[in-house]
Amino acid sequence: MSSAAVVEVEHFRMAFGATTVIDDLSFDIRRGETFGFLGSNGSGKTTTIRALLGIYEPTAGRLLIDGRPFRPEASTRLGYLPEERGLYRKESVLDTMVYFGRLKGMNAAAARAWCLAYLERVGIPGLAKTRLDKLSGGQQQKVQLGVTVMNEPELLILDEPTKGFDPVNRRLLMDIIEEQRRAGATVMMVTHQMEEVERLCDRVLLLKDGKARAYGTVAEVQEAFGGTTIRLRHEGVLPDLATIAGLAGTRLVADRDGEAELAPPAGADASSILAALVGAGARIASFTPVRRSLDSIFIEVYGEQAGEQ
Amino acid sequence: MAGNVRTVVAFEVARTLSKPRFWVVTLLIPVLIAAIIGLETWSNSSTQSSAAEQANAKIAFEYSDASGVVVPGIATAAGGTVQADAAKGLADVQSGAVDAFIQYPADPTKQPVTIAAKDLGLFANQRYDAVANAVLTASAAQAIGDPSLAALAAGGATTQTTAYDGDRVAPGLAGLIPPALYLLLFYLVLVLLYQQMLAATLEEKENRVTEMILTTITARSLVAGKIVSIFIVGIVQMLVFATPIALGYAFLRDQLSLPSLDLSALVFDPWRMTVGALVLVGGFALFTGSLVAVGALMPSVKDAGPVSAVFMVAMFVPLYTITMILSNPSAPIVRVFTFFPWTAPVTVLARNALSSLDATTAIIVIVELFVVAAIVLWLAVRFFQYGAVEYGRKLDPRVALRSMRAQRTGGAAR
Repeated sequence: MSSAAVVEVEHFRMAFGATTVIDDLSFDIRRGETFGFLGSNGSGKTTTIRALLGIYEPTAGRLLIDGRPFRPEASTRLGYLPEERGLYRKESVLDTMVYFGRLKGMNAAAARAWCLAYLERVGIPGLAKTRLDKLSGGQQQKVQLGVTVMNEPELLILDEPTKGFDPVNRRLLMDIIEEQRRAGATVMMVTHQMEEVERLCDRVLLLKDGKARAYGTVAEVQEAFGGTTIRLRHEGVLPDLATIAGLAGTRLVADRDGEAELAPPAGADASSILAALVGAGARIASFTPVRRSLDSIFIEVYGEQAGEQ
Repeated sequence: MAGNVRTVVAFEVARTLSKPRFWVVTLLIPVLIAAIIGLETWSNSSTQSSAAEQANAKIAFEYSDASGVVVPGIATAAGGTVQADAAKGLADVQSGAVDAFIQYPADPTKQPVTIAAKDLGLFANQRYDAVANAVLTASAAQAIGDPSLAALAAGGATTQTTAYDGDRVAPGLAGLIPPALYLLLFYLVLVLLYQQMLAATLEEKENRVTEMILTTITARSLVAGKIVSIFIVGIVQMLVFATPIALGYAFLRDQLSLPSLDLSALVFDPWRMTVGALVLVGGFALFTGSLVAVGALMPSVKDAGPVSAVFMVAMFVPLYTITMILSNPSAPIVRVFTFFPWTAPVTVLARNALSSLDATTAIIVIVELFVVAAIVLWLAVRFFQYGAVEYGRKLDPRVALRSMRAQRTGGAAR
């Protein structure tokens, strides 16, 4: 993986009237890596992407792609799947896809050939001449995905890519992202699917209150938020951890329907924690130390907001 | 950038021209015009026959003549008998004994000829006027004696005027028609393309494609491409519209009773034609930019309709001053309409056709139109870019302008 930065965001600030949405945000995305850009609803993720792509003008700071502010005519081949996405409803699938292909620099014949091959691949070859408003939601999603990955983008920016996708199309999206990664594309992904982030992303940034709350590799972020977590199944009610000797510094992260997650302090011995719990009367069915999940970190960082995700 | 503009133009033109609805709507206009002309021609010939029948129809009437002009023989030949008693005459009409009672006053040139008659319907009742007038004019002609003098007294003489502008023959109507065509073109283009201009930027927002498309092409290139494609579609529409009309005139002129026009007599004054062309282009650019800007500020066509109607009103309001343009082009209202940008194209094109436009005013207005059009188009592009992701919301242009200024100076946006 090349370490040269494709995306550089330096001291980015974005205010709308009296409301500051992003306050002094800095990060970079290295060439060839998959970058997870995480945050609760309204935290400013889409705003950051729009500022990066020149749709918003930043209040302060610099946002660069390949060392320059983004311009549509830029040499970097970009694939962008926005959160608010649509197509020309009254036009045919093929005409719309070829149009976008030509805007992205493909010639008409190459765009047409690529589109027909793509439609074949995603199982809708017979719909090339069909009007987009006659397609089902899932079929339209496939077309949007195709438009995004046309012309072998070097940088893929996906804002909530699986939003509204059914499981079949979600699988298709992940396969396509994987293909693009293997081909060397840089991927910036805004998502709430933490299991996908853990699986795909090299580095992540958690955005909160307009600033980076966590930033680094998945392992570094997990370490920063406690490293190891303990997942246990119990019967009845867990005793209050604060009252149990030997559990100083151990936090209860989540407890629902008999499945709980504990965040022990760094260096804590898992067997001592188990012994302390059993000694306090907890009825433990299973006890498993695991590396802290991004899901639990997300919940910890965003608290009640995240409960609404 | 130019390549992407071409791509936008090709896509927009192709998708408009490939829609059957476009051809149906465009061809409907000349078809409707042909149908209306045909119906009108048929109605006119029917009306003329009817009028001729009425003029020749005999009615049984009584009359009294205080003027002494009416010749009894002529009145009798038309079906009349003398009745000096006005009350008796009216009673005879009311009882149905006669069709009408006509009273010729002492001075028919100053007093009306009164007619009491049986009701035959609004149109058919006119035959009584025809008969009363025919008797009076025939009697007057007989009194004059000479048929030529009688015809002169009745209808005047045919005249033919040749006007001179210095030592040159003034073109008259032949010089008015060519520049007047620009005015007709202006209305045609805007009426036909109004909806498309409004939808140029609206469609992107309604379809939620703005974000995807603005990462492949700049807002300026996109708007430029759309305006060029609207212009091309407009030319195609005018050709489709004009071709059947031209063919109908060329081959069916006699059947449709259309007037014969000697096209070789038309005068194309280079200055007036140039002024007309520049005003047409400037006016088109101004109205296009205005409608595109409205589309960029509004979330939907439905919201944009009432706002854009203001520009359509501006197009038609100057027509109310057309008589003043003819008789008094320096009237204040005409001057206001001449220099106010959105009423200027129609007013100036009319004045140009009617030869009431001086060169200085023409140049000022042309420059004004292009400058204001450029500003409006710049604003349209900025509003579109600024409001690109404001789905479902109306943009306040003042807020948009404040934010653009703030962004340029590094202050708080929006």
